[in-house]
Amino acid sequence: MKIVYQNIHLPNSHTLAVYEANGGYQAVLKAFELGSDEVIEEVKRSGIRGRGGAGFPAGLKWSFIPKNDPRPKYLTCNADEGEPGTCKDRDIIRYDPHRLIEGMIICGYAVGIQQGYIYIRGEFYRETERLQAAIDEAYAKGYLGENIFGRGSRFHLAIHRGGGAYVCGEETGLIESIEGKKGQPRLKPPFPANIGLYGCPTVINNVETLASVPTIIERGGAWYGALGVAKSSGTKVFSVSGHVNKPGNYEVELGIPLKTLLEEHAGGVRGGWSNLKGVIPGGSSSPILPAEICATITMDYDSMAKAGTMLGSGAVIVIDKSVCIVRAVARLSRFYRHESCGQCTPCREGTGWLSQIMTRMEAGQGTHEDIDLLLEICANIGGKTICALGDAAAGPVLGAIRAFREEFIYHVEHGRCMAG
Amino acid sequence: MPTLIIDGKEIDVKPGTSIMEAARLLNIAIPHFCYHPKLPIAGNCRMCLVEVEKMPKPVISCAMPVSEGMVVKTDSDMVRTARKGVLEFLLINHPLDCPVCDQGGECTLQDLAMKYGPDRSRFHDHKRQALNYDLGPLIETEMNRCIHCTRCIRFSEDVSGVEQMGAVYRGDHMQVGPFVEQPLESELTGNLAEICPVGALNLKPFHFQARGWELKHADGVCPHCSVGCHTRLDHQDGRILRVMARSWNEGNEAWLCDKGRFANDGLTEERLLTPMVRSSRGNGFKKASWPEALDQAAAILKSVRPEEVAGLAGDSIQGGEELFAFQDLLRNVVGTNHLDHRLRQRDFSGDALPLTRADLLMNTSLVNLAGADGILLVGFDPRFETPLLNFRLRRASQAGARVMAIHPRKLTSNLLNLTEIVVGAGHEVELLNQVLRALDGEGSGDAAAVAELLKGAKKPVILLGEHAIGHPEAELLRRLSVALLDKVGAIGAHWNGFNRVASRGNAASAQDMGVVPHRGPGYARLDWVGMNGAEILEAAAAGRIKVLFLLGADPLEDALDRDLARRAMEKVRVIHLGAYACDASQRAEVVLPGLAPGEKSMTLTNCEGRVQQSSRAVNGPLEAKEDWRVLRALSDRFSAPLGYNDLEALRKRMAASDHRYDFSRLGPGETAQACDHSPVTKGLPVSVAIHAAEDGIHLLLESCLYRDDPVTWRSRVMGKLARDGRLRIHPDDATGLAIVQDGLVRVLQGEKRVELRADLDSRIPRGVVSGDFGRGENALRQLCDYSGGYPRVSLVALPG
Repeated sequence: MKIVYQNIHLPNSHTLAVYEANGGYQAVLKAFELGSDEVIEEVKRSGIRGRGGAGFPAGLKWSFIPKNDPRPKYLTCNADEGEPGTCKDRDIIRYDPHRLIEGMIICGYAVGIQQGYIYIRGEFYRETERLQAAIDEAYAKGYLGENIFGRGSRFHLAIHRGGGAYVCGEETGLIESIEGKKGQPRLKPPFPANIGLYGCPTVINNVETLASVPTIIERGGAWYGALGVAKSSGTKVFSVSGHVNKPGNYEVELGIPLKTLLEEHAGGVRGGWSNLKGVIPGGSSSPILPAEICATITMDYDSMAKAGTMLGSGAVIVIDKSVCIVRAVARLSRFYRHESCGQCTPCREGTGWLSQIMTRMEAGQGTHEDIDLLLEICANIGGKTICALGDAAAGPVLGAIRAFREEFIYHVEHGRCMAG
Repeated sequence: MPTLIIDGKEIDVKPGTSIMEAARLLNIAIPHFCYHPKLPIAGNCRMCLVEVEKMPKPVISCAMPVSEGMVVKTDSDMVRTARKGVLEFLLINHPLDCPVCDQGGECTLQDLAMKYGPDRSRFHDHKRQALNYDLGPLIETEMNRCIHCTRCIRFSEDVSGVEQMGAVYRGDHMQVGPFVEQPLESELTGNLAEICPVGALNLKPFHFQARGWELKHADGVCPHCSVGCHTRLDHQDGRILRVMARSWNEGNEAWLCDKGRFANDGLTEERLLTPMVRSSRGNGFKKASWPEALDQAAAILKSVRPEEVAGLAGDSIQGGEELFAFQDLLRNVVGTNHLDHRLRQRDFSGDALPLTRADLLMNTSLVNLAGADGILLVGFDPRFETPLLNFRLRRASQAGARVMAIHPRKLTSNLLNLTEIVVGAGHEVELLNQVLRALDGEGSGDAAAVAELLKGAKKPVILLGEHAIGHPEAELLRRLSVALLDKVGAIGAHWNGFNRVASRGNAASAQDMGVVPHRGPGYARLDWVGMNGAEILEAAAAGRIKVLFLLGADPLEDALDRDLARRAMEKVRVIHLGAYACDASQRAEVVLPGLAPGEKSMTLTNCEGRVQQSSRAVNGPLEAKEDWRVLRALSDRFSAPLGYNDLEALRKRMAASDHRYDFSRLGPGETAQACDHSPVTKGLPVSVAIHAAEDGIHLLLESCLYRDDPVTWRSRVMGKLARDGRLRIHPDDATGLAIVQDGLVRVLQGEKRVELRADLDSRIPRGVVSGDFGRGENALRQLCDYSGGYPRVSLVALPG
């Protein structure tokens, strides 16, 4: 079942003509007929949860925007896609940008928003060009602008390119960045639904979430809700990378067994299933799952949480037995140290400390105490920071020690890697 | 009113209160670094984490608003673990150089590490190294110690309005500092060091001077401008080494300006140590005993008729006590009414009227000023006359108040929504008169805009500053301001927007205590009106005044007309009582050493008319005595000596003449009321003569924040902040006269000439040059006098 990727195999799928020839911009007309409240209801009924990583129900988020507020409201699409391993939004933007635009128009209509922003990762240069071209087409056709679809209402869309900071993918860091400030997440509360961009109510959704909206409206929330499994409805794009034979983006229904995803869709683990060491299931910040859990677990929000990890952005990083876990985690820790915004103490100091210990350990300079110290540092960061970056930095270290403690011990005792 | 429970104690608080503030009300201390009650919330140190029932994670108490039924624990296991963790993080990159750190002993990090921290480090990796910056003469940096609480950044953005501090880089490379390394350009920079919870930003003049725990403290009131900020005088071995802000919500909140904080090094310079009398042989002085000197002084006073004696008093660092005793001695013992403290005023026409205290001081308290919504500054540069008053105006402007300034030059302001109207010096009266007519609907341009501001505001205020008070038509400006506010109904019981802000530290006390020729203490009318400041100098130069008694005043430096002052001083016999050696003491026959602020318990009255007492911190030098005691002892040589032998009796007499000086009615810790006076005199006639615009270049003299009382003139730190000996000129005018930046310029007026260095400054209008009054023989004040306000001068660019 393909929803956000239903058109990407078509030639010139990024053009308005091809999108419209395949039923594009029909959902928005249907939305106008349904009325704004009913659109929000449909999205709620679909049960779609935010595809950016946090998994917050999208319809609920939309309904938090205060009605009859004199301030302008904003819609911000998070296209920063910075989570290592994730590359799903990029394909939507470059192969089906109109689906995203239509989703944003529907959201704007439902919530009463007249201005949308797409905050796109700075490295997505060609993607930005293509997205801009699509926006220009939509403006030319009267789908965007002062008088959309001849209905007398207004919806504008602008692209804002990021400067390469991972933390600007955090929704309030993203808002600060659009406002022209240093990308540092804000304290919550207040939440963006009340005080967001320029101090006004703001909806922030991931690209994939917004691109799912046209289909939800077109086929109905109930139809979408029937896909997938309970509390994890619909389809999800998994960016499978690492040691599989056919890495790539695969859109499947949620609840699919991880083994099925890897073996049937991604061409199987390199060297066979028995060569699997572990899988990072939801982007670099989700704790790693050892192979024995990978064999049985299903890809949905709840079973991931039960296993102590998360579905995150759906970036499935497959690691086979050739990999030194300590080295992989040291590399990730370096990433989080580099990307911490530096604002709050546990993350600023903790990420640096984790990275220094991991680097030391990888080089064979670690001690047994360091292993427990790592766990304690992670505990001292987790849940005590302004945004989730601190937890994200702690996740890989925690998961790796939990699942592969013996590799850490081997590093301490032998000064080198078990994997050879 | 949400009710919540903190550590088992129930409390009702206003909606929107944070857990931190609610806990404070219960006297529960929650440890913190980044939180500061007077700054915006950042919530980044994470030290104030508390546990709230039903919340899965600990929350920061500084930012979390309370809600009904909340149950907060500030000392649970979860909280203790969290604090320990945060503290360990803060310490891993902290240099732990407490033994050589200025903050040692008064450091939040040190204190909390003692309480919550581990006793040894688990961190064996590389500590971060940060760059230090040269931030000018006031702030010393040691950025390795920075814990990134961003208090300094928030202070710069929110309070001082000079956004020079910020954070660059990310993660553990994040560095707090100036974006461009240059001296901080704010009048409030010292506060950066005071709010820094660690030793990253230190007070440069105090660097390595003493350890915090060795210092003794005394409560002071700052004498350096008329806001009267509350200070804490930190002293050791008889010297005031550091001045810190004492929190005072109705005044300086938690801040001090750089003058109030750093001028203390001037206190001990050029002091008079022993009584001296001019020796009969030659010109030299000889040391004298107190009785000898007092006998000599009494003999001089008795040698002439009483009306040939005059007195001039300083009004910046003189306490109310000696001001009262001074006028008491001259009026009731010597028998003269020729006394004044107003040496920088040109227009004395208001003296003929029974003006009230409300006419001469502020009527909007500092607290209410922050609530004003339309602000008109007339000849007032609040930021560089009364910095902490400007802070209130900035708060008002941040809340949306519109501000207009009528001034002969553009200001360097940090007020928002500011419209500046530059009028030719001397033409302010005409503009205000136009505004008065514009309020009736017949105006256009600037006048209409000002009228619109006053009419459109619910709480309009007008503030008259030093330029307006020293204006040749100061009384007219004052009356017009009253008339304007009266017309828009802003002089009433509920809101009184008329404010005359004399910036000299204790000018209000001098007024209240009757150190003026036409009024006694407590605004009592006199039958015999004496001569005012300018008249005294003229009479002295003409030989009609034969003896001049100076109380901390130096006419050569304080009077507007130095030439006149010199002629006067050459003719009269001078008795000088004061703390500092100066030109006047050099020319005196008897020199009586007095005390400086911090060495005596003194009464200071601020611009709101609030009477306050500053306590004694240290002893005076050698034989110097409290000034009022000297006056009292002197009076013993006369037939009817002054009737008080101790401070208490003197203060009773002051209180009897003005009830506001009665401190017995105040409870402990209470401050006297602000703006405790009324009414403003309304309906005085205004007749405005139109002055023809003159061509040529006019000289505008200004007082410099860092150089306007005996202490600041002697402070080396102030010398680094002030740009002494500068002439400000518009770049276009400069080009026409071949004047270049920093080039030497000769300023000529008649036969008088001074030479200064040029500062090209586009805030000065064309046709005007401006400079500070200055001090000494080569100061711009040489060129001004009491008659004309803004003399025409010619300029010559000199080589070199």
